Amino acid sequence: MLNRPLSLLLVIGLGLLLLWSQRDRAASEVTRTALIMGTLVEIKAVGSDENKLEDAINNAFDVMRRVEAEFSPQVPNSAIARLNQTAETSEIPSSVRDLVELGEQVRLESNGAFSMALGGVKELWAIETENPQVPTREQLEAVLPPLDSPALLLDGLIARRSSTLVRLDLGGIAKGYAVDRALEQLRDRGLRSASVNAGGDIGVLGGHAERPWRIGIQHPRKQGELLATLEARDQAIVTSGDYERYFERDGRRYHHIFDPRSGQPASGCQSVSVVAPSAALADALATAVFVLGPEAGMRLLEQRSEAEGLIVAANGEAIVSSGLKERLQWR
Amino acid sequence: MALKALWRRTTRVDRALVLALALLSGFSLWVVVDREPGGQVVIYRGEEVAYVGPLSHDRLLNIHGPLGDTRVEIEAGRVRVLRSPCPRKICISLGQVWKSGDLLACVPNRVVVRIEGEEGRGYDLLSR
Amino acid sequence: MISSVADQQNLDQVRQRVFLALFIALAVSLHTFEALLPNPLPWFRIGLANILALTALELYGLRAMWTLTLSRIFIGSLLLGNLFGPGFLLSLTGGLAACLLMSAGAVLLRRGIGLVGLSVLGASGHVCGQLLIAEWIVVQHAAIWLLLPAFLLFALVSGVLNGFAADYLTDQLLRQEAFAACRKSFGPASAEK
Repeated sequence: MLNRPLSLLLVIGLGLLLLWSQRDRAASEVTRTALIMGTLVEIKAVGSDENKLEDAINNAFDVMRRVEAEFSPQVPNSAIARLNQTAETSEIPSSVRDLVELGEQVRLESNGAFSMALGGVKELWAIETENPQVPTREQLEAVLPPLDSPALLLDGLIARRSSTLVRLDLGGIAKGYAVDRALEQLRDRGLRSASVNAGGDIGVLGGHAERPWRIGIQHPRKQGELLATLEARDQAIVTSGDYERYFERDGRRYHHIFDPRSGQPASGCQSVSVVAPSAALADALATAVFVLGPEAGMRLLEQRSEAEGLIVAANGEAIVSSGLKERLQWR
Repeated sequence: MALKALWRRTTRVDRALVLALALLSGFSLWVVVDREPGGQVVIYRGEEVAYVGPLSHDRLLNIHGPLGDTRVEIEAGRVRVLRSPCPRKICISLGQVWKSGDLLACVPNRVVVRIEGEEGRGYDLLSR
Repeated sequence: MISSVADQQNLDQVRQRVFLALFIALAVSLHTFEALLPNPLPWFRIGLANILALTALELYGLRAMWTLTLSRIFIGSLLLGNLFGPGFLLSLTGGLAACLLMSAGAVLLRRGIGLVGLSVLGASGHVCGQLLIAEWIVVQHAAIWLLLPAFLLFALVSGVLNGFAADYLTDQLLRQEAFAACRKSFGPASAEK
């Protein structure tokens, strides 16, 4: 007579155990930050072995620091700095070559809107320093590199600037590249769920444990508010905005995304967010689209099937590429 | 008298169980009260942690970085940077933060402020 | 008319079924009654019907207790109109956990445990079961466990009171002829089963 209740007990006990086991088992999220490439980089990793996650994240930061050492024009011995100092050829690492090739692709597709040669223009505006200034047209014309040529002439791993007016600056693509390398490192270390956020340039590996990563897009004019959110797995999203780095003079705002044709900050958009398989591509396209403006920029995005984007035009109007329409949730 | 009658209705095991539950109850009270409600503010100076404290604790902090002192204010559950020796003062322009996961950073002075806590805010990462 | 032993067994079985049905009806009315009581926390229940679960356990055994509890939860929720709603879920997990703990107590501590002890076990299970499901499904926020100390204390008090009530009830019932076939299973002065 006691057997039936006992077995019923067991069944129910097992059932409850099953229910209990469905809860998020021991999945923890580790978040670490570091200051690299002049920006705040935050890496999140989700998994069950916290030590493994921490080690992988530290390795990823190291990888990003090596990218900075290779690509920054300020670091004295970087490949970029060396190329900028000489009119002669110089040997470059394959990583630099690969990134330069990608940048050149985007330059051609965007009819010159994306440029890696604007180091001189940036220095003139001195926008990263304490004393930015508004240059005159003559000053700008003196440092503008020729529009229709690539920044670097390549022969295998031997490179040379195409003109002495070219001052290499890969700022519009190197951060994305660093994010990609960091993600690659995390993947190589066996992680399946991670995200790298370098000052707004985001790349994600897998989803966030069971669900996708939820990414918010900053509202270009309302601080602390979102424009929209979307979900992503194994993708990158980069936003270029006129609100990130700027200074004001005589009632006008000057930001850091320059139009290679004039040397002035591009004025067609408030912000551009690009979703692409790699952060380097998203970074370059975001810059290109920003310079091109809403119409030409959207055409560029629709041309590339693997890239999607959201453009907020200068007048505040939001335009979304066809593949992104269903994914965005407006706030 | 009635109490004695009630007492007789219990066994030794019963009384032991009641005592056990009473102790468990007290213990759980202690555990629960020990938790700090609300979010935490964590301030990093470079890679190391310079300050950890609850969001509910009003404070004025000076974080000493390579360029000088960055002054951080925690007041009425919100955090902001009051003063900083950096050139662009971007950290000040970021305004107030209070939601779990929010960040303030003075990159030149290597000061980072993070709000940590349990509440979600609808998204994991912010693209700006 | 001569009554044989078989007839007596039959009679006892019928009696058990009838009284169990009555107990279930009583338990359902207690269940619905307490759902209507004012309560600062939505969906959480006191567990008055446990008095009858204990009585069923004492008089008729574990199986009767399970039958009674599950029946009163389903029927009670049908009556209240919240079958499969959050209130139902909380009652169900509370009831299941209570029965589990009481069964464990009845089997493992058979010698020495009384109705008060069983009731306290049941009340604790009731509370924990409700909090578990509340966190997992209804509220989805770990902060619900902040209520644990208050709930445990409440379980203590209601468990003891329910235990006394059930003990008194069974004493009274056992004096009636209708329950002559039952014996006190638990508590002081209970015979070896």
